[in-house]
Amino acid sequence: MHGMTRYFLRRLLLIPPTFLCITFLVYAALRLVPGGPIEQAEFQIRLAMMEEGGGGGLMDRSGELQIPESAMRELQRYYRLDRSIPVGYLHWLGGILRLDFGRSYVHGEPVLGVLAARLPVSLYFGLIGYLAAWVLCIPLGVLKAVRHRSAFDTWTSVLVFLGHAVPGFVACLLLLVLFGGGSWWDLVPLGGFRSEGWEQLGPAARALDQLRHTWVPVAGYLVGGFAAMTMLQKNSLLENLGADYVRTAFAKGLSEGRVIFVHALRNSLIPVFANIGNALGLLFAGSFLIEKTCNIPGMGLLGYEAVIQRDYPVILGTLVFLVLIRLAGNILSDAAWALLDPRVRFEG
Amino acid sequence: MPGPVKLLEIRGLRTWFELEEGTARAVDGVDLDVREGEVLGLVGESGCGKSVTALSILNLIPAPPGRIVSGEILFRGRDLLKLSRPELRAVRGGDIAMVFQEPMTSLNPVFTVGWQIEEAIRFHQGVGDRRELAARGVRLMGKLGIPDPERRRGAYPHELSGGMRQRVMIAMALACSPALLIADEPTTALDATLQAEILELMLRAKAESGDAAILLITHDLAVVAETCGRVAVMYAGRIQELADADPLFREPLHPYTRGLLDSLPRPGTGKGTRLRAIPGTVPRSLSWPSGCRFQTRCPLAQDRCRRVEPELAEVRPGRRVRCHLVGPEGRA
Ligand SMILES: Nc1ncnc2c1ncn2[C@@H]1O[C@H](COP(=O)(O)OP(=O)(O)O)[C@@H](O)[C@H]1O
Ligand SMILES: [Mg+2]
Repeated sequence: MHGMTRYFLRRLLLIPPTFLCITFLVYAALRLVPGGPIEQAEFQIRLAMMEEGGGGGLMDRSGELQIPESAMRELQRYYRLDRSIPVGYLHWLGGILRLDFGRSYVHGEPVLGVLAARLPVSLYFGLIGYLAAWVLCIPLGVLKAVRHRSAFDTWTSVLVFLGHAVPGFVACLLLLVLFGGGSWWDLVPLGGFRSEGWEQLGPAARALDQLRHTWVPVAGYLVGGFAAMTMLQKNSLLENLGADYVRTAFAKGLSEGRVIFVHALRNSLIPVFANIGNALGLLFAGSFLIEKTCNIPGMGLLGYEAVIQRDYPVILGTLVFLVLIRLAGNILSDAAWALLDPRVRFEG
Repeated sequence: MPGPVKLLEIRGLRTWFELEEGTARAVDGVDLDVREGEVLGLVGESGCGKSVTALSILNLIPAPPGRIVSGEILFRGRDLLKLSRPELRAVRGGDIAMVFQEPMTSLNPVFTVGWQIEEAIRFHQGVGDRRELAARGVRLMGKLGIPDPERRRGAYPHELSGGMRQRVMIAMALACSPALLIADEPTTALDATLQAEILELMLRAKAESGDAAILLITHDLAVVAETCGRVAVMYAGRIQELADADPLFREPLHPYTRGLLDSLPRPGTGKGTRLRAIPGTVPRSLSWPSGCRFQTRCPLAQDRCRRVEPELAEVRPGRRVRCHLVGPEGRA
């Protein structure tokens, strides 16, 4: 236990440097890559002027856009791009530590507020998708292992791999086309988090409405990791069922159920649970296409739009959350592993 | 003098494996009996079918690819191959217990050794009281010479040495005072210095817990010489010679038995003496030789040996040999 405590302390201590590295790299990259907010602004202005057809005072003789020095500096200060990269990064970092993530260029609001509005939506779908994956994949994997090579095993394998070939957002698209009230069935709304006027509904109607909005995106989340997790569980259990200790358990006179579900299952869960944090990170990171398809105002979509619009503070803010979730996920993995496997020592 | 009571009778046992290359007839007509309270050695080189014989007794053959094709395994007159599942479960670990060769992998890595020993008691004897279970676990571990059993009871297998783990395995097997203990190469994976000690402990523990008969499987005749009252020599899926230990070691009759004895290092001879190993290797169980199965490696093989397989004949009272060249008068 002593070694274990030390191990987790060290993992915790490793979070800040990892965090600093990732955020600094992204910050620097954002500053160095062309197409930043000022260039975007220039582009907008040029577009506007071309439509007006007039020159105004901003065009030089060759027709190039000329932003006056003072206006440029004003712009740079507004976008906080007037400092060198290291200094700018330190300022940004200082803000983060005071929970000041800056202001969104696009929304004009504090980034933290924008994130706070989106986070519950992402958490809602992410966690439901995550739990659904566990609740479905583990029993299915177990059943497939117990009935290895049966008709049930074969057919579910076919289905699982068909599903695996379809990206999550495509699955959502298919489901929306089929069930979204187009030419076929009208069972689910065409995306969104909740219906308009949700606040005015009664409690039962609220829950029902939420549910109707839930299952398409969750199905999308599931499709992605489903095959890998199911097969991991199946193979892990199969391998354990062939282990010497299982033969010992049978030789002791234990029932097949007890041998499988007490002796082998516990062992087979070790690699699956060691994956727990990884899967959590993936769910949040890989969700923007699904959020876009299903029109869910979540973190993934927010990050995606921020990248398109070069909304640096929002990009960085989203990144902070993703990195933290990822790092927390890793620790969760190790903890689950240590809990299940007494051989885990975490020295060295 | 009434004859010894037969505890286990194996009659015409055939256990085959259907493999892609063909049918491996690993056990191919074994007849063997184990008497109450005796220690019977089952010896033979690797690949002769000893483990498959042992696993067949408790119906632990992995199927597929394995299958018990024919035969009877009578335990106190009941055919174990005809038992229902619950009956079989009661026999496994209750009447007949088993110790395997690999102490490293034969225990479940995620449960404490105490829990694993006590699990057998819980299920066979319905003991639910934690304190009683713990006391019995500790007592068993103590019997097997495990130091500080109260503390070791809470250890996980990986925290114990190979020798300690094998003691745990034996304690687990003896937990319900079985009438028969099948020990499949119980000390082969251990240091030579540990082997004798563990065997000694096993014999003592057996005597203390209801005098189980032991079927001791090994490829090491030296182990047999120290522990067994009777010996069965197995080769190519069949028993080749069956005798009391003393006469067998004094005068081995089957050429295979002689070959095994000749390859033993003898006390008194120096370290430098070359051992005379049997030439060649055990044939594959996919295609045993025609005639006598040992003829391909036998120094005495004759024409008849290559054509006709000999019977396992009783050449003397209590002594059976499967060889054309051995008659009632001894070696031909
Ligand atoms: N699980 C298995 N699958 C396929 N063949 C097996 C299996 N177990 C045993 N055999 C076959 O049975 C033969 C005898 O094996 P075994 O009884 O383990 O020999 P040993 O006398 O060394 O204990 C092996 O050579 C192998 O061909
Ligand atoms: Mg063996």
